[in-house]
Amino acid sequence: MTSSKKALSTKVSFASLTQNNLGTVRKLNSVLFPIKYSEKFYSEILLPEVEDFCKLSVCQYILSRLPEKPIALAVYYNDIPVGTICCRIETKDSINHLYLLTMGVLAPYRSLGIGSYTLDVILRAAATHTKPKIGRIYLHVQVSNDSAKQFYERHGFRESGIDEGYYKKITPSGAWVLERDIQPLESEQQD
Amino acid sequence: MTPTPAKRALPSKESSLFRELLNLYETRQLKKGQKTADQILKKFPEHGETLCMKGLILTHMGKREEGLELVKKGVRLDLTSHIVWHVFGLIQKGEKNYEEALKSYTQALRFDKVGFACGLLFQDVGYLSSSHERPDSNSLENMNILRDAAHLQTQLRLYDGLVDTRFLLLKLRPNLRQNWIGLALAYHLNGNLAESRRVLEQYERSLKNVPDYDPEQSDLLLYHVKILEDMGELAEALTLLDVNAKSRAIVDRVTVMETRARLLSRQGPGVEAEQAWRALIQCNPDNTNYYYGFFSSKNIDPGAVTDGDRSSTLRLLQDLSMQNPRTFTPERLELLVVSAEGFRPLANGYLLRGLKKGVPSLFVDLKPLYQDTQKRAILEELVDGYRRALEEGRLPDESPNDVVEEPESDVPTTYLWTLYFLAQHFSHIGQHSRALSLLSSAIAHTPTLPELHTLRGRLLKRLGDLRGASVAVNEARLLDGQDRFLNTKSAKYKLRAGLIEEASDTLGLFTKKDAVSPGADLEEMQSLLYLIEEGNAHRRQGKLHLALKKYHAVRKIFEEFEDDQYDFHGYSLRKFTINIYLNLLSWEDRLWSHPAYIHCAISASQIYVQLFDNPSCARDILSTGKKSVLDNPNKTMFRHAGLSTEEEKKAKKRAKKAQQKQEEQKKAAAATAAASTNEDKGLDLTPQKDDDPDGIKLLTSPEPLERAWKLLSPLLRLSISNIHVWISVYDVAVRRGKYLQAVRALKRAKVLDADHPELHVRTLHLRKLYESLPTSPSSPVGAIVTSALDSLITREMTLEAYNGQYLQRHSDNASAVLGAARGLQILGSPRDEIEGVVLGTLNPEVDLSLKTALDVWSFLKDISSPRADEFRLACDENFDLSTVFKTPDQLAVMNSQQQGTLLKAQDVDD
Repeated sequence: MTSSKKALSTKVSFASLTQNNLGTVRKLNSVLFPIKYSEKFYSEILLPEVEDFCKLSVCQYILSRLPEKPIALAVYYNDIPVGTICCRIETKDSINHLYLLTMGVLAPYRSLGIGSYTLDVILRAAATHTKPKIGRIYLHVQVSNDSAKQFYERHGFRESGIDEGYYKKITPSGAWVLERDIQPLESEQQD
Repeated sequence: MTPTPAKRALPSKESSLFRELLNLYETRQLKKGQKTADQILKKFPEHGETLCMKGLILTHMGKREEGLELVKKGVRLDLTSHIVWHVFGLIQKGEKNYEEALKSYTQALRFDKVGFACGLLFQDVGYLSSSHERPDSNSLENMNILRDAAHLQTQLRLYDGLVDTRFLLLKLRPNLRQNWIGLALAYHLNGNLAESRRVLEQYERSLKNVPDYDPEQSDLLLYHVKILEDMGELAEALTLLDVNAKSRAIVDRVTVMETRARLLSRQGPGVEAEQAWRALIQCNPDNTNYYYGFFSSKNIDPGAVTDGDRSSTLRLLQDLSMQNPRTFTPERLELLVVSAEGFRPLANGYLLRGLKKGVPSLFVDLKPLYQDTQKRAILEELVDGYRRALEEGRLPDESPNDVVEEPESDVPTTYLWTLYFLAQHFSHIGQHSRALSLLSSAIAHTPTLPELHTLRGRLLKRLGDLRGASVAVNEARLLDGQDRFLNTKSAKYKLRAGLIEEASDTLGLFTKKDAVSPGADLEEMQSLLYLIEEGNAHRRQGKLHLALKKYHAVRKIFEEFEDDQYDFHGYSLRKFTINIYLNLLSWEDRLWSHPAYIHCAISASQIYVQLFDNPSCARDILSTGKKSVLDNPNKTMFRHAGLSTEEEKKAKKRAKKAQQKQEEQKKAAAATAAASTNEDKGLDLTPQKDDDPDGIKLLTSPEPLERAWKLLSPLLRLSISNIHVWISVYDVAVRRGKYLQAVRALKRAKVLDADHPELHVRTLHLRKLYESLPTSPSSPVGAIVTSALDSLITREMTLEAYNGQYLQRHSDNASAVLGAARGLQILGSPRDEIEGVVLGTLNPEVDLSLKTALDVWSFLKDISSPRADEFRLACDENFDLSTVFKTPDQLAVMNSQQQGTLLKAQDVDD
């Protein structure tokens, strides 16, 4: 397991989003998600504050300097863009939440551990994040999407409720809210 | 000593002023110099030398016209002064008028009294006039004139004269190292290697205290070795190389090794040569040439291995591969060497390695092997086998003795690259629909790989759907906005589809933001690709003036390339970069045979011929040009979308903006000019403001044939293997009444391809024309033309029979059939007969390509054939994916549909 993870880390890399690879993100979103995202979504993930984002290796560093703006990464497998992950920091009930906006991997590249690897990267980054400290991570999953729910549950998320009518243009319109507490860590730890 | 002419002699006050003037010019104190000159001229307004100096200074200050006027006047007033001729030469050189400049320099040297007569007596002769004693600057000045003359002679390739000039320079200043090298080079360029060698040897003997590891000395010694090699003195060359390499006098190790291996190989196959090449392979195992050298030392050519050598060659390659595990090169050579029987296992390994690694160029790499149809079939079988295995969930390389060493294989990407390879393969062998369907599965699998979209664009282009192709390539561009290659490709495809404005917007993403327009920046950056593609796009739309404008811009770039070498005639000698300088010279000698220049020379001369044959065409273009924007948007078949009013407004806005920018720049330039009149603008002709931005003057030029000839003439002295050059030369020459040039061009064409349809048409044309001439050309020319014509086309046969035979011989070749039809047209056959022949291209046994079909269609329209539409419809059916045979109305419908789907795709869910 460790060796395969190591192999994966040499094949998977990340890039932050810029005006120039936005076309790739649009393309990915158009095939990954049933929702068409607005121009506002794309302009938000491109805000100048996140402009100097670049690679996985500096991901934590970036998080630590992050204002309340989304983090967005493109995921590459063997140098081909195969997925994206976007999140932003929100403050609710005086706890800082990391809200996972979107995450997806192209169908032929699933079950290779890419999604888990990507999520791990984000979780570890959140745990070592200090300014502000991240207390919780949460996200929405459409109630028909069991496999996605299971995926997040495998990574320590639990259902905290259902948001009825969360989706406006697709059915079923309900969404599970999944969340997970983040234990602040100084050093790396297995989760 | 000859006495100074009375009108040149100045009283002592003025004479010292004149000396000061020279000094001021040397130190570029232009304003003061001008004042000093005026002081002399106040008293002696007819003093030629002063007038010239003033003219020179004014030219430096940017007042070229006024300056030139004064210089010319000065020359007229004192025809025997070397100063005036030197000044005149400087000015002409600045105008890039090298021939005239050289003449002026020669005059200057002649009137320098002693110049060529007794080169060593300079010290005794007054420089400015015999009344002034300036011994030092005297010889210095002469050196300068001689050196400049040498540069001009090199530029003009007058090597006989160059040898004389260099010889004189060396005699004057034997202590200057570069004068020795200059003479050796001059002998070399003039073809006298033995003298060149003698000069070098003498020079090397005279050297003392050369510093260690001196790069200048190193390059010189390599040059010496090269001279010996060119003379065939291989053993001496080797000795010289080895001695100096050992003492580290030659510092360039790689060149030493390469030269050594080459010299040994030229001496004949042997162990020493083999070892030399082996050492090079160790240094750089990716250089294919080293492998060829290695095998040449064993008398083997990997490109044409005999059966006897095959197995030993393969063994050697395998050894080399083992020694250099990181390189692909020996394996690739194995694929070339191995016979079809043993090909499969080797190809299997090579393919899998490339596909797993994700090498995008794998197909291009292997394409040369397709010449062997057996190997081609095996490659197809193998890769299609991988595809099936992967689709069934197996690994592509499940061979029994292979233990799966990597449980986590790169299955998805391997599958993707397999599909990509197969799509290229099937497109290459003409199975387009299969290629497209494979590509669609690849895009469904991974829509984010730009290569897939560019390939789709290429396939659609091959099928004649230019609009669809540009959409596909643009999709690739959107995936990666910072990829300049994709940006340029996308713009090129837009130009091919006639979307000139859109292409300009795309290119503008990468050009300088403060440029007048993206096109202006690209022209300044000498982008041949852009100029040619946009020129072609304008030409297809019938805007011949704009096309000519772009083609002439290409010509200008090549003139600049030619001028650029001038500075190196001096620089390379000073810096001792001799070997690279020789490369430059031979590159410049072949400069005009560059494909980009050939393309633009042919295209532009075709337009000029068209304008000559049909002078009203220029008027038509200009009048429709103004109208077309408003009421005739779909004038030509490549033009897909007219400008909507909104786009029109945008275009106007853009033009206005560009104009504003230009004016601002002009103002800024004027301001700086006013600020410092003392600024040195140099002697080079600065580009003047373009007074013909839309090429109207080019279009309406009264002498289109002369312009065409000027474009073609640099090609005449080169051995060009592009037959269309000679066809164009013929077309222009015959219309200028130059029958000798015309028939010569056809003979050159015949050597290249005796059966070419264009040649066939021209041969008939010339014969017919020549027979109908009222008087044949005067005796020497007439006889030569007649005999040359007889060698092209036998006189024993009627032209009708000749044409008929040609058609029979090539009845399954569509462009030859078209050639025969055009032959009939020349012979004055009735239209229905011509139509009958040309519609034969639709017969199933004729191989009709898309391009030829377009040619046939436009020929039918040219002869106003009522059957043109019949042909169009048939082609529209044959080339079912193409859009070029659609009517403007059909295209408009297709475009609006396409835009409809695009709009739908943009429908946003908040």
